[in-house]
Amino acid sequence: MITQRGFTVLFAGILFLTSGFSFFNFYLILLGVYLIVGLVVTLPLFAVTANLSGIEVDRKIDKTKVFSGDFLRVRVTIRNTSRRNFDFIEVWDQYPETWILAIGENFMASRIEAGSSIAFSYILQARMRGRYYLGPTEVIMRDRLGLHYYKRTVKARTEILVYPTWKDVRRLETIGKQRQLGLMFGSHKTKVVGMGTEFAGFREYVPGDPFKLIDWKTTAKRGEMMVKQYEEEKNVQFICMVDSSGSMGNGYPENTKLEYGIRAAVLLTYMGLERKDLVGVCVFSDVVHNYVPPNTKPDHMYEVLDALAMAEPMGWSDYETAVSHVTSQTRKRSLFFFLTDLEESPGPLLNAMKAVVANGHRAVVISPFGPWFEAPVGQFGPVERVLSEAVSEELWERRVKISRALSRFGIEVVNVGPEDFLPAIIHQYNAAKQRGVALH
Amino acid sequence: MSGRWDWGIPYEYIVTVFRLLSLIMFFLAIMIVNGVASPLLGGQVLNNLVGGLYNTLILRFWYMQPYGVSGPMMNVNEVFTSFMNDFIGILMTLWNQTFTFLYFLCAAVGIALFLQSLVRMDHKFVIGAFISIQLILVIAAFRDVAIPNYEVFPTDFYEFLVSKAQILALVSFAYLESSYQMIYSHSVGKPIEEREETLKKQLLALRMATRKQDRMERGEKVSTTAMSRSSGATAFSFLREAIERKVVGTKDALENMDAVADVRRLQHFVDELLRNDPAAKDELTAKAAAPSESYVIRSAVTGSAIRLMAVVGVSFLLMNPWVFVALLNLPTGIANSVELLQPEFMLLFLVPVVALFPFAAMLIGSIVKREVEIEGNLTKEQKQELKREKREMKQKKKKAEKARRERTHVRRKRRGESEEKDEWDRAIEDVARE
Repeated sequence: MITQRGFTVLFAGILFLTSGFSFFNFYLILLGVYLIVGLVVTLPLFAVTANLSGIEVDRKIDKTKVFSGDFLRVRVTIRNTSRRNFDFIEVWDQYPETWILAIGENFMASRIEAGSSIAFSYILQARMRGRYYLGPTEVIMRDRLGLHYYKRTVKARTEILVYPTWKDVRRLETIGKQRQLGLMFGSHKTKVVGMGTEFAGFREYVPGDPFKLIDWKTTAKRGEMMVKQYEEEKNVQFICMVDSSGSMGNGYPENTKLEYGIRAAVLLTYMGLERKDLVGVCVFSDVVHNYVPPNTKPDHMYEVLDALAMAEPMGWSDYETAVSHVTSQTRKRSLFFFLTDLEESPGPLLNAMKAVVANGHRAVVISPFGPWFEAPVGQFGPVERVLSEAVSEELWERRVKISRALSRFGIEVVNVGPEDFLPAIIHQYNAAKQRGVALH
Repeated sequence: MSGRWDWGIPYEYIVTVFRLLSLIMFFLAIMIVNGVASPLLGGQVLNNLVGGLYNTLILRFWYMQPYGVSGPMMNVNEVFTSFMNDFIGILMTLWNQTFTFLYFLCAAVGIALFLQSLVRMDHKFVIGAFISIQLILVIAAFRDVAIPNYEVFPTDFYEFLVSKAQILALVSFAYLESSYQMIYSHSVGKPIEEREETLKKQLLALRMATRKQDRMERGEKVSTTAMSRSSGATAFSFLREAIERKVVGTKDALENMDAVADVRRLQHFVDELLRNDPAAKDELTAKAAAPSESYVIRSAVTGSAIRLMAVVGVSFLLMNPWVFVALLNLPTGIANSVELLQPEFMLLFLVPVVALFPFAAMLIGSIVKREVEIEGNLTKEQKQELKREKREMKQKKKKAEKARRERTHVRRKRRGESEEKDEWDRAIEDVARE
């Protein structure tokens, strides 16, 4: 393959050759011939020596799973396994477009001798959750004068799983520390009267109460049999139903409804696990992509992160299938947090909610309202603004009907935008803890 | 007109100016009047009329004598001829001067590009300088100025080797060759130096940014220095982005906690990396990849020498027709013809011989099979895992579809005929009924 430089030399050669013919000048012809012959004379030799299959590229990374926003060092080693020296070799190691090259360069140009190796590294910042690949690597070999080149793409790729961002959790921890309340900042213990150790009050004796609970002093004072009551702390079981249908992907990149839903699910799982609650996560669209049943084991958080990292906005929301899948595996009473934009037909949604309630569970719908996640109306022209407002109004009408319909099952619909998505879910969680719903 | 003062000069000056103005007016008059009146009277009649008027009113009335003409001019056609002759004379002088100007222009451009090529080491400057200088000779050849040439291309190799034209062509070609070799040496060693320099700047910029943030958090006043703008931030895209997000250098910095945290975390990451891995810095700069200077120089000299010899040898064979004529065993009439001495004759051999080299390279390439691409290094387990994932997804979709069909079937049976109602109201009713 001739490079741009090679073509320039060819052009100059033809220019002098034709000038020589036109003006009958042998010097110009000779110069033109020198240039053209000089361009091609070493080409067969270069073809023999430039055996790129003798080049091996090895890529190493420190971690295969990182959080969105984390930094990652990539080390690339190029080995010359052939018996020839390569005069000029360029290596481009490709990384995902959305990531940021923080330190160093993903490019290397040098000479590599037979049997030797060269290494370089660079630091990337992983952006946006999902499954990503580093690579392929482009290896370009040029001749010394840069007139010809051979290119090969080494397709070996390194898979990296990027978890959703951890910044919300970090922020929560920071605020907790700042207020000197420790990790349990904002928690509300769910207490029920029962067999605990903390004194709660007195009540009248009813037949069947154990005699040891009778408080004789109070009985003597009141003149009737009184028993002591104790509180016991109960844990709550939550299930985050994350809708990953196509419509959830609307909005600015990194700030789509789905991204917020996932951030909310991460935050909720973290808070729940910190407070010893059981939290499960289900990612669904027209099928159930992933379901992590509620648990408190140490690596539960990572299982949830794995499930959320892979979520992609596609398909449509089949609430019934998702609810049927989850309820069939969840016997204990749970509180379902539906993180969905409710942009599907109403029948299946209501049936799904009915199934949730019929199975003894409770539910809250945290619903991102589409227009609030898209471009601000101020950025539109007059026509687009009117259209956008009309669409928003229609969608809002639907919302009102949804809320009315779901309230029949005692299910609250919380409409949220980007600003109040996370506060809303924290508020709902705390409220549920206070009320003690879905105890087990 | 002898170059000395004459009392007639002011008069001649005024007359010349007046005559030029009157000529313009005259032209305009002819154009306009001809255009308007030609459909009625015919163009020729008017031409004569206007010409007569001009002769009578302007030339005779003022009795004008143009520059360089001995007697007075009484006819407008004489004025035109004189004017055209002067005009062509000026154009010819300009034409001749243009080539002198072009020589100087090419030389100036060539020198400027040559100087640039020494500093920037870019092939565009090298080839630009080369072409510009050679263009002087091309223009000279066009103007038939004596430049190195052969009457008949020499048949003796030694004679060819020591000829002026060959030496000049070889020196020119050697300049191009050596410049490209220098660019090669530069491009092999320089990226590593630049890499090291960039890394230094990046780390410095990062540290400065972190310090600045610390000071801002403490409520101290922060000033933006020229250094931080030029050497630090601009060289570092990550930090630049952080600055664009108004993290560093504004009072609102603390509001953007994420970006502040990003810069901090990067600082910690780099610090930890450099502390824990002694080879990390060398790998980031790719220091080990730098080739030895002595090898680069040695190989450049030997490589160039071999190339030059090959180019001169092959070119001589191509340009000297006798070698090929002897090989082809042509008839005497053709072998002794004048056509063989024409420069275009060498094209007969140049094109196929030059095409032979890329063809040979292509053949070698197809034998070596260098373009075989290495596939992704997925292990057997990984491939199986991917297959399993796909299979599972297919099954899930099938199952969900089946369940949906069943549900729809049951509902249809229960509901019977549907009515024209709002879908939400209908859904609420349906669910309530069930």
